[in-house]
Formats: sequence, structure tokens, C-alpha cells
Amino acid sequence: MMKSETSKNNEQQLKNASNAALASLLNLTILPVISFIALLFIYKKTQPGNIDHYHAVLGIKINITAALALFLVSTLMIVLGGFHSPWTWVYVITYFTIVHTIFIVFAIWALVRSWSGDKLRSKHN
Amino acid sequence: MKYQSQSIAKLYFIAAIGLFVGQILFGVTLGLQYVIGDFLFPEIPFNVARMVHTNLLIVWLLFGFMGSAYYLVPEESERELYAPWLAKLMFWIFLIAGALTILGYLMVPYATLAEITMNDLLPTMGREFLEQPTITKIGIVIVALAFLFNIGMTILTGRKTVISLVLLTGLIGLAVFFLFSFYNPDNVVMDKYFWWFVVHLWVEGVWELIMAAMLAYVLIKVTGVDREVIEKWLYIIIAMALISGLIGTGHHFFWIGAPDYWQWLGSIFSAIEPIPFFMMTLFAFNVVNKRRRDHPNKAAVLWALGTAVMAFLGAGVWGFLHTLAPVNFYTHGTQITAAHGHMAFYGAYVMVILTMISYSMPLMRGKQAGNARAQVIEMWSFWLMTVAMVFITLFLTGAGILQVYLQRYSDTPLGFMATQDKLEIFYWAREGAGVIFLIGLFLYIYSFFAKGEDVVMPEAAVAS
Repeated sequence: MMKSETSKNNEQQLKNASNAALASLLNLTILPVISFIALLFIYKKTQPGNIDHYHAVLGIKINITAALALFLVSTLMIVLGGFHSPWTWVYVITYFTIVHTIFIVFAIWALVRSWSGDKLRSKHN
Repeated sequence: MKYQSQSIAKLYFIAAIGLFVGQILFGVTLGLQYVIGDFLFPEIPFNVARMVHTNLLIVWLLFGFMGSAYYLVPEESERELYAPWLAKLMFWIFLIAGALTILGYLMVPYATLAEITMNDLLPTMGREFLEQPTITKIGIVIVALAFLFNIGMTILTGRKTVISLVLLTGLIGLAVFFLFSFYNPDNVVMDKYFWWFVVHLWVEGVWELIMAAMLAYVLIKVTGVDREVIEKWLYIIIAMALISGLIGTGHHFFWIGAPDYWQWLGSIFSAIEPIPFFMMTLFAFNVVNKRRRDHPNKAAVLWALGTAVMAFLGAGVWGFLHTLAPVNFYTHGTQITAAHGHMAFYGAYVMVILTMISYSMPLMRGKQAGNARAQVIEMWSFWLMTVAMVFITLFLTGAGILQVYLQRYSDTPLGFMATQDKLEIFYWAREGAGVIFLIGLFLYIYSFFAKGEDVVMPEAAVAS
């Protein structure tokens, strides 16, 4: 009975971890904001120390960092460079595209790790 | 290597790498011609160097695809190649025809080449990427048919796997869509339609099937993950590639005089085009994460993962960047297209062929994997070429954005050549990255000759 409950709990954790990583990826790609809200809801359901909590926190961290790196830095570039300067757009568009892609690739890796119930750095089983 | 006839791939791979070197040498020359306009003029004018650069790319990729198929298919079909002699014969015919064509571009004016190859009997020359004389195109068709016959008979008389059937479908598509290059209508809009039916349906259609099959094959071999798992991914990826890629051709019809609805169809379907590449990244990461063994050929694993990521970047992200009609209105035909083209071809097709070569070459040389030193050198070459290509893409993207602004967006637009002058800094930077790429390529070739201690393959890996 105990074993079955543990196994059920593990399955639920794995499911939550996958959902959290997926929400993180979706927020970075086709469903921004809504997915982040979903990620926060998933986070609320998790317990510290569990794998789902780890992936929910990781997802939140990735997305907040991405928001800062993309919007804050881009805004700063526009403010400092000037809206009507072509060079501003050279930097902003190139920077935004490459950095956004890096975050997406990172979130894909996080999703894959969540599917196997692993942390980012834990050794492969 | 399980079957003797697989070794034919070696011939094709050596030729492919040789032509790859030629392509990059002309690329570096071209890069310099962007900033020193009369460099090597009149011996190698810009238009000729560009034609050689792009044609060498196509020819060596075809050599790479054929070599990969000759290696992959016997193993998948669990039998020797149907006609190894035919594969060797076609290799020499294709190599000689290819070399003569390139020499023709370099030795005589293009108009003279058209005249001496009797282009007027069936005019097919003069279109970008399809500049080959008609007689060479006929040669390509003969080689492709013989190749398909050989591969097809091997598959049909042996074990049929999802990988080999997807590969065969892609290769048949490659041959069939090339036939559109023989139709050269007078109407310019019609001409563009049929031109794109070759170019787009190759690189954003059937070549993706070939790429996915090759990547799946290598991943099965290096990770030991169940074939069934990989095959399911493969089905979804190729379905998405075809659904998005076929109607996605519409993004080339925005400004050629085609009906307006193509702006909607082209935008919507090409917005879906990054999905198969996105899934390929997810697939490759997932399979490597769930690997059942650590394959001793680390370089091949690196190339396989790199292919998935770089194809997503180059074909997916950089394609999406300028594919929507309102954006493409400003960006079409600028350096942004060149940025996308460079990274997409490298990420999707160059890298997948190098993955196949990296995996199969040691096996064809009687080893399980390259020696440790050779692998380190090969991995260095991976990083040098890949990082250089990222920078080439970034510099061309920067050039493209500035070009769009100055030439098309500004209230006081500059002329084409005046704009080109303003982009000089980007072209110099791109040239520098191109030289690094060339160094990476030489290092890659050197890795085949580097001596060192052999890496032993674990039992589990040998069993596969």
C-alpha cells in the first residue's frame, strides 16, 4: 500500500515537472504570459525538495531571466541608441533573436530532463 | 561495418569533402570581393565565383546524401547493396560531369558555355542555383535514376524500416522535383513558380526527410535507444515538415506577381515551418538524454546534437525572422536572406552529412571510433566551424537590417551601391569569420589523419 502511494506520488511529481518545463517553454515561444501564469499555479502545487518543485523554480528563473535579458536590455538599447537610429535596430534585432533562441534551446533541454525526472546537472541514470 | 558494399560510401564522402573545401575557398574569395570589388578580376568575376560557390555546395551535398544512403541502406535492409558496381560507375560519372561543369564555369564565359553545350535545343540555363548546362542536368537525372534504382532495389528486396523508407521517399522527391528544372517558361512569373518548385521543395521539403532519416539512423546507433521510439518521432517530424513545407512554398510567391492569397498562405504555413526543426531538437536531446550507452564516438554524438540545434537556429528561427509577408516586404533579397541561407544550409544539411561521415568513416576504416586525439581535433573543428557560422550569420543579419533601413525603410532611401558601402564593416567581419570556418574545415580534414590511441567500444555498443 505504502509502495503504491509512493509510486503514485512519484508519477504525479514527474507529471508536474513535465508540465512546469512545458509551461516554461511555451511562455518563451507561442503562449507568453498565460503559460507563465500556469507555471505559477504548478509551482504552488509543489513541495520543496521534490523534482517538480525543482523544475517549476527552474522554469520561473529561466523566464524571469529571459524577460530581463530580452526586454530590459532591448529597451535600454533603444533608449540609449535612439529609436530612429538604424544601428539601434541592428543591435536590438540581432541581439533579441540570438538570445531568445538560446533561452528556447535551454528550455528544451530542461523539458527533456524533466521527462526523465532528472535535474539539469544530475548524472544520467 | 556489417556489409562490404557499405564501403562505397567512402568514395562519395571523400569527393564530398574535397568539393566542400572548394566551396569554402570560393566563399572566402567571394567575401573578399564584397569589400575589394576587383579582387581576382577578370580571372574570377564575382558572378562566376558565386555560381561556383553555390553549385559546389549543391553537388557536394548530393555526394554526401548518396554516400550516406549507400552506407545506411545496406545496414537497414540487412543485405549487400543491390549493384555495387553501378554505385561506383555512377560515382565517377557524377564526379567527372561535376568537375567539367565547374571548369566550364571558370574557363569560358557563361554565354559561350551555353552555346557549346547546345542550350538552345532545350534551354534550361541561366537560373540561380540551376545554372548547370542542360547536358549536365541530363547527367544528374541519369545518375539520380541509377542511384534510386540501386537504393530502391536494395530496400525492396531487404528489410524495410521506417528510416530507409523515409530516406527513399526523400530521395525520390529529390529526383522528381529536379525535373522541374527542365521546364523554362517564357512567362517570368511561371518561371519563378517552377524554379521554386525545385529549390524550395528540395531544401524546405524533401531534403528534410533525408536529413531526419540520417539523423535518426545515427542516433539509434550512438544511443542504443529503441528503434520504435525514434520511429515515432520520425513520423511526426516528417509529417510536420511536409505539411508546413509544401504550402510554405508560398513565402516565395509574395512579390513575383502571384495572386494576393499567397501572402496569407505563405505566411501562415511558413510560420509553421520551424516546428519540425524545433521537434528535431527536442527529439535529439531526448534520445541522447535517454541513451542506453555512452558511445565511444563522442564526435559523432556532438555532430548529431549540433545538427539538431543549428538546423533549428538556421532554418527555423532565421527563416521565421523574415518569412511573414509584412516583414518580407522589406527584407526579401537582402543580406538577411543570405544570413538565413548560410546558417540553414550549414545547420541542416552540411552538419547532418558531417554527422554521417563522423559516425561511419571510422567504421569503414576498420575501427569502432576515431582515436582519442583525432576525436578531440574533430570536436575542435566542430566548434570552430559552428561558431564561425554563427558569427557569419550574425554579421550578415546586422548587414541585412542596416540594408533594409537605409535602402527600403528610410524616408530618404539610399541606392543599392551606396548602401553596400555602408555595410563594409559587416562584410569585413564576415570575411574574418569565413577564414576561421576555413581553418575549422582544414582541422576537420586533419582529424582523419591524426594518430593516437584507439578507443575501445564497450560490449553493449558492439552488440547493436
